[in-house]
Amino acid sequence: MVGSNKTLKFGALMLAYLLLIVVVLCMLVPYAWMLSSSLKLNKDVFTFPMQWIPELPRWANYVDIWTKIPLGRFIYNTAKLSIIVTVLQLLTSSFAAYAFSKLQFKGKNVLFLGYIATIAIPWQAYMVPQFILMRSMGLNNTHLAIILLQAFSAFGVFLMRQFYQSIPDELCEAARIDGLSEYGIWARIMLPLSKPALSTLTIFTFVSTWNDFLGPMIYLTKTELKTIQIGLRMFISQYSAEYGLIMAASVISIIPVLIVFLGLQKYFVQGVASSGIKG
Amino acid sequence: MGMKKIFGLTLTVILSIGLLAGCGGNNNKTVNSADPAPNNSANAVNKAEEDNNASQEPVTLKWALWDWEATAYYQPLIDAYKEINPQVTIEYVDLGSTDYMTMLSTQLSGGADLDILTIKDIPGYANLVKQNHLEPLKGYMGEQSIDPAQYGGTVEQIEVDGEVYALPFRSDFWVVYYNKDLFDKAGVPYPDNDMTLTEYDELARKLTSGSGAEKVYGGHYHTWRSAVQLFGILDGQNTIIDGQYDFLKPTYELILKEQEDGIVMDYATLKTSSTHYSGVFYNNSVAMMNMGSWFIATQIEKVKSGESQATNWGIVKYPHPDGVEAGTTLGTITSLAVNQKSKNKDAALDFMKFVTGANGAAVIASTGTIPAIKTDEVVNSIASIDGFPSDENSKAALTTAKTYLEMPLHEKSADIEVVLNEVHDSIMTKNTTIDKGLEDMTTRVQQVLNN
Amino acid sequence: MQNETVISTGKPPKTGVSKSVKEHLVAYSFIAPNFIGFALFTLVPMIFAFVLAFVKWDGANPMDYVGLKNFNRLIQDPTFHKALWNTIIYTIGVVPLTMVCALGLAILLNQKILGRNIMRTVFFFPYVASLVAVAAVWNFIFSPTMGPINNILHAITGIPIEELPRWAADKDWAMFTVVLFTVWKNMGYYMVIYLAGLQGVNPELYEAAELDGANAWKRFRNVTIPQLAPTTFFVLMILIINSFKVYDIFINLFAGADNQLNDSTRVLVYQIYNTAFRSLDYGYASAMAIVLFLLVLGITIVQFRGEKKYGQ
Repeated sequence: MVGSNKTLKFGALMLAYLLLIVVVLCMLVPYAWMLSSSLKLNKDVFTFPMQWIPELPRWANYVDIWTKIPLGRFIYNTAKLSIIVTVLQLLTSSFAAYAFSKLQFKGKNVLFLGYIATIAIPWQAYMVPQFILMRSMGLNNTHLAIILLQAFSAFGVFLMRQFYQSIPDELCEAARIDGLSEYGIWARIMLPLSKPALSTLTIFTFVSTWNDFLGPMIYLTKTELKTIQIGLRMFISQYSAEYGLIMAASVISIIPVLIVFLGLQKYFVQGVASSGIKG
Repeated sequence: MGMKKIFGLTLTVILSIGLLAGCGGNNNKTVNSADPAPNNSANAVNKAEEDNNASQEPVTLKWALWDWEATAYYQPLIDAYKEINPQVTIEYVDLGSTDYMTMLSTQLSGGADLDILTIKDIPGYANLVKQNHLEPLKGYMGEQSIDPAQYGGTVEQIEVDGEVYALPFRSDFWVVYYNKDLFDKAGVPYPDNDMTLTEYDELARKLTSGSGAEKVYGGHYHTWRSAVQLFGILDGQNTIIDGQYDFLKPTYELILKEQEDGIVMDYATLKTSSTHYSGVFYNNSVAMMNMGSWFIATQIEKVKSGESQATNWGIVKYPHPDGVEAGTTLGTITSLAVNQKSKNKDAALDFMKFVTGANGAAVIASTGTIPAIKTDEVVNSIASIDGFPSDENSKAALTTAKTYLEMPLHEKSADIEVVLNEVHDSIMTKNTTIDKGLEDMTTRVQQVLNN
Repeated sequence: MQNETVISTGKPPKTGVSKSVKEHLVAYSFIAPNFIGFALFTLVPMIFAFVLAFVKWDGANPMDYVGLKNFNRLIQDPTFHKALWNTIIYTIGVVPLTMVCALGLAILLNQKILGRNIMRTVFFFPYVASLVAVAAVWNFIFSPTMGPINNILHAITGIPIEELPRWAADKDWAMFTVVLFTVWKNMGYYMVIYLAGLQGVNPELYEAAELDGANAWKRFRNVTIPQLAPTTFFVLMILIINSFKVYDIFINLFAGADNQLNDSTRVLVYQIYNTAFRSLDYGYASAMAIVLFLLVLGITIVQFRGEKKYGQ
């Protein structure tokens, strides 16, 4: 019985691995293509049949992207924006989510539903009024505009609230009896317990700010303020598109995001919440 | 009615408060020079004095444009202007080429302090005029005796109710680029400057050969609507904004037939694979390609850099329907306008006058781009650029007989253009038949026109 | 109010009324930092956009109040109907498929398996990568006559290439292609949410279930699913909302140089964008946005009730 169960398990595991590897390879095809295109002349990017390894790899693409546009400056700007927005987003979202999840107050459900539903309104619909408002505050062509736009999203509150939902209320009750204030509970119990959720929100906020295009496009018209996604588009001009350079810049622009993602992996550890209960 | 007015007014006031506050915030730096003088005759003297001051005091103008890095003539234009007007500083604001006109309109609606506006296309121009963002120019043109005739009839085509809001500085037109080596290889004589559409089709068929990686296509149509659809308007019988589109049927039949016979690349493939027309021309895979004159400068540059392997090339005049004069072609203009709310209107107008005038034209031509004022001098200047084909036909191809705008001006041209593009795509991908597509085009444009 | 504020900063009050007031104030103080920022920079413009639905406005000139005219137009506008229909079809295609893939991946990659971190990264990759680049790759691979997919299909089935689906360029297959692309691009994103959710599941519950003799499926059914309910609610809502709001993916996959979609691929936000910025009809565009908002609000309320019931 035990033996056959083990073989079965082993077989299933092998099958799962095989499947995973195949899927992983499929997922990687586009990157292989990106990488290979980033080493080609523009005219050779879209030629059939595909040439996976360029005959004459054009390393110059990786030099050109820094000289043709101020890519270093753009990366600095984007990193600055992404970090500030992420920190603000984490703080305010987890704070608000605590109230929505663990506290009782009037209008909670209505406010929460309203919060969620506003996520549904496409930005294109209120982009112009928002731009007029921001300009009237003198925030046009400042990084502050992007920060204020991105940092207080309903999305973050929603995400954090859903994770707090799965943390048992008894934990908070026990802490209240121990004399902790609500702020204390948030800081000492909820925050440490929600590391996976905080990591998730960090990743999402960082990525979306990093990859944001339309916002910076409208608000940042001065070259020294622009971000990396606008930089990528600079290789697409009216009558031509430098795909080789776009791919090279895309490859570079992915690296910081991957570092953030890999760095936060260690917080995806099972059972934090439950170990909290025991303690 | 009264209720309507009040409601609308209230909203406008709320919005304007925002706008004013915004302007107020930005004004601080420039209060002295930018105090908008009331526009009546009593102040004329005052105003003139201000003008004088303006020409000495340092002024900074903001110029909205796209593709700063990729465009050869922006910096030379600014430099040339600064030489005459050292007190003027020109700052550029690059709004990107994708959706440039939308970005510009958004910036202006938000009250951005742009002074000089580059106008990329006619639908966008019509919209800005509707929104009252552009300074009317008729008066200024009279004062400065700017003759609209020098622009070869294009200014008349962008008049709105007898008023003009922009002046062209760049005027591109369509020609046929051909690869001489591929003609030689096929043993076919080069095309000349008087080619009918039927002759073009026959020629393309003769030049098609090979298969797989060796395949040579006789012709090439880029995925833009204008590359295909507009053969239909060259006879001058119909326009694209009439709301009746049956006349396009023969054109689409011709092109789709070529596509089926493998004379040109399949539209769906081109579109989905983001194939750029320049790439296939550089790679010696197409013998002839109809394209705008903007490609001349690029092709010259890329031959020099070695990216274009089509080193032996030439241009000839656009193919035309039977009975139409050779040199009849499509055109597109790029113009300059001045923001109606600009605080440095006079300086901005002066810069516009320079760029769209003879001096600007010379600078633009020296970069291989066709300026809106196309004198013999300009043509000679372009034809003498190092790398321009040396044959006489190529030089002669730079002159045109009649140019139809790719999109004529109409109050609703933005909406019409949307329909034209969408249906064009459906027909070319064969998601609809020609008849059904044109019927759909007619119905939907009628709807736009009647709305 | 002010008095009570003073009380609330002092020692814990004894009376029931002021205790509840204090609780309220504490709750509001938690919400305030996010809400004030949100209200000022997002909510105010949104409300303004709502008002726009009842006017005619071109973005610059004075507005005209038109009452419900914009909404009447919606009812009679076939292109809007087509856009709404396409969006709904797209949502129905994307939501369940993405959920299943994301949950499956999350559970798989939550096991202690070899190369787990690398694999998580690989699946998250498509979400991070620039849309311009990956859409170009996809279109290239799915290109009708020369792309590898159709060439492989041709080799296997022997069907002439001309008769195979033309994917993104084919009105019958366009939706299928974009659903596939979306699932591929975004499943890693939802996988991360599920992964985070799985960390909150109490392992003791699994142990208890195992002791009861529950098999893997039963453990999944009786422990994982209920424990993940809040996460699932979140994933479902965000998926639906994002599918309703889809724009960039369609533009990058289908639109050519002119940034335009055709009848088989037009979606709501494209319609809103075109109406506002190409036709300068902000009022009509706002009316469309309100329809979108109401749709999602309706779904949210239904889901929210479901979540409450399920949670108990």
